[in-house]
Amino acid sequence: MKALTANRLIDGDVVFWKSGQWVEGFGDADLFDDPEAAEAAEGQAKSQPTVVIDPYLIDLIESDGLWAPLSYRERIRALGPTNHPTHGKQAVGGDVVEALLHADGAARSSGRVNLIKRK
Amino acid sequence: MYQYDAVDQEFVADRAREFREQVARRLSGELSEDQFKTLRLMNGLYLQLHAYMLRIAIPYGSLNGRQMRRLAHIGRTYDRGYGHFTTRQNLQFHWIKLRDAPDILDQLAEVDMHAIQTSGNCIRNVTSDPYAGATAEELDDPRVWSEAIRQWSSLHPEFSFLPRKFKIAITAAPKDRTAAKVHDIGLMIRRGRDGQLGFEVIVGGGLGRTPYVGPTIAEFLPANRLFSYLEAILRVYNRHGRRDNIYKARIKILVAALGAEEFARQVAEEWAKIGPEGDLPDTELARIRGAFATTVFDALPAHSEVFEAAKAADPALARFARNNLRPHKKPGYTIVEVSLKTIGETPGDATSDQMDVIADLAERYGQDDIRVTHEQNLVLPHVRLDDVPEVFAQLQAAGLASANVNLISDIIACPGLDYCALANARAIPVAQQIAQTFADPDRAEAIGELKIKISGCINACGHHHVGHIGILGVDKKGEEFYQLTLGGSGAEDAAVGKMLGPALPYDKVASAIDTLVEVYLRERHEGERFLDTYRRTGVEPFKEAVYADAH
Ligand code: HEM
Ligand code: SF4
Repeated sequence: MKALTANRLIDGDVVFWKSGQWVEGFGDADLFDDPEAAEAAEGQAKSQPTVVIDPYLIDLIESDGLWAPLSYRERIRALGPTNHPTHGKQAVGGDVVEALLHADGAARSSGRVNLIKRK
Repeated sequence: MYQYDAVDQEFVADRAREFREQVARRLSGELSEDQFKTLRLMNGLYLQLHAYMLRIAIPYGSLNGRQMRRLAHIGRTYDRGYGHFTTRQNLQFHWIKLRDAPDILDQLAEVDMHAIQTSGNCIRNVTSDPYAGATAEELDDPRVWSEAIRQWSSLHPEFSFLPRKFKIAITAAPKDRTAAKVHDIGLMIRRGRDGQLGFEVIVGGGLGRTPYVGPTIAEFLPANRLFSYLEAILRVYNRHGRRDNIYKARIKILVAALGAEEFARQVAEEWAKIGPEGDLPDTELARIRGAFATTVFDALPAHSEVFEAAKAADPALARFARNNLRPHKKPGYTIVEVSLKTIGETPGDATSDQMDVIADLAERYGQDDIRVTHEQNLVLPHVRLDDVPEVFAQLQAAGLASANVNLISDIIACPGLDYCALANARAIPVAQQIAQTFADPDRAEAIGELKIKISGCINACGHHHVGHIGILGVDKKGEEFYQLTLGGSGAEDAAVGKMLGPALPYDKVASAIDTLVEVYLRERHEGERFLDTYRRTGVEPFKEAVYADAH
């Protein structure tokens, strides 16, 4: 399973792809189990250079029966800094945040899919 | 402190205006991200994990109350009510929005501040002694030279496209509080046999992927020849620096490749060509010096009854006095270090409310002068001993009275994986755990001076190579691991630390530090710091204890 993420140009906020739009919560993101659909979305996202910076796909794993980013770095992006639990997206709480907090999958720190292909 | 003139002010305001246009062109799509990135970095604006980060220059770590209050205001209005002081004496905001950045630069320009020379391949903000103008140890006021270098380098066309970033540190005291020997150029003010002022010039130090303690290429450079000599160094670097390879582009690689002697020879050759014409006229230096000579001290007795009585009555104040006060050059005054290492908090962070308190204290009790240290603390350099009890009380009320300067909980940590897009592992929570392990102030004092420095990746922003204990975050198959080094120092006895052994997992670091400290306490001789004991015993006893425990 994959999701598509980027930072929004105007404010730098972490955003996720949802049917052609960008949403702030990982819990609202489109999840792709079809790699071709994921790459098609990535292609579309790349044609929005005045909306987002550097969109890329990330791998997901199951956690608490929900999906969470595989890499720790991506979980920190989706949650916020661990030294300030009230800063960033984790502040809203809820099931998805809990699932992310409990996830313990590991991946290369970038956690990016296609990292090698991209460069 | 140095006052901007109309030219300085216009220059900074212009840069803010120019950046506003650049942001508009980026948002409209006229500039691509690649084109824009170079421009935003020239104004200290990075993209990090959660938001943009703005690095604001605090030249040689010196600012006044009005400026500090403006930083507090920016933190409150555009960030989350706090800021992070860095090892290069600057301030970073971590939650900045691109759309606000032009307004922030305008607000900074109003108080003679900016984010220029905080990023990119230029001569960065000069680091200097945070006790400048206050300590009796100094031979001259290093701020004068720092400011002169700032003015000389800001607009110098030859230096705006160097092979890589370029960092200069200047100190005028035998005790180095600037990490001069691990800068691209470290300048140590010396007095010659005839009483003349000069500089020891150290070139090619650095941290990061390939750490070096820089060699001295000139033992005594007459002070009035400084600028032509700097220019010669930069010319040699500009000509031969490895622009082809970002990992080899710093001057340290060039100096190591040529050897210090050959590098010095080439500099001397270039220097002869430039001649005294490349030097700053004495009148210009005198003008800058005048701007720093405005602090007026009262004639006070060396002994303060008020202070002594308060100390005798309050053990907390006595502890603060032992650890956070330093001798001042004038009788009846003291240097006050304000620790930003409250146990459990993020090293180097100050809230906007705390910044306001510091601004008030500086204005009321401290000649309107504030310094940032490269160890991520603040300094009120000129406080009367009589006023210390009141200053301490107000610091206490603001949560700023930790009496731990130079102690084991006075840890340098970079933002690490909690914020930084380049990180392998977190640094802040590791620092917090260690500080908590040594929260007992009596134990911390019994341990004495011990410098722990933590970086979240090999770029070494947290100076881990020069920590008495250094901690480097690494990524092992996606898990956070930490490589410990021992025996580093960033001070006058500079050294790069040596690796202790295999990296440790996140939850084993604080207990490993505890073990190292126990070994030190067991092995130490009278008067030895951790570093001295390590240097005497070598790594073995430490290694044995940590890895015996790890099994
Ligand atoms: C969070 C954004 C940051 C980024 C993207 C960043 C990036 C880097 C990089 C790439 C290097 C290595 C450069 C080289 O060796 O050529 C470096 C070095 C350094 N950075 Fe940072 N850094 C960041 C934050 C900080 C902070 C918060 C501090 C202070 C606490 C800091 C202080 C330093 C210092 C002192 C070095 C020294 C290494 C040297 O120049 O030899 N940086 N940084
Ligand atoms: S040392 Fe690495 S992780 Fe830490 S701030 Fe620098 S680049 Fe980021």
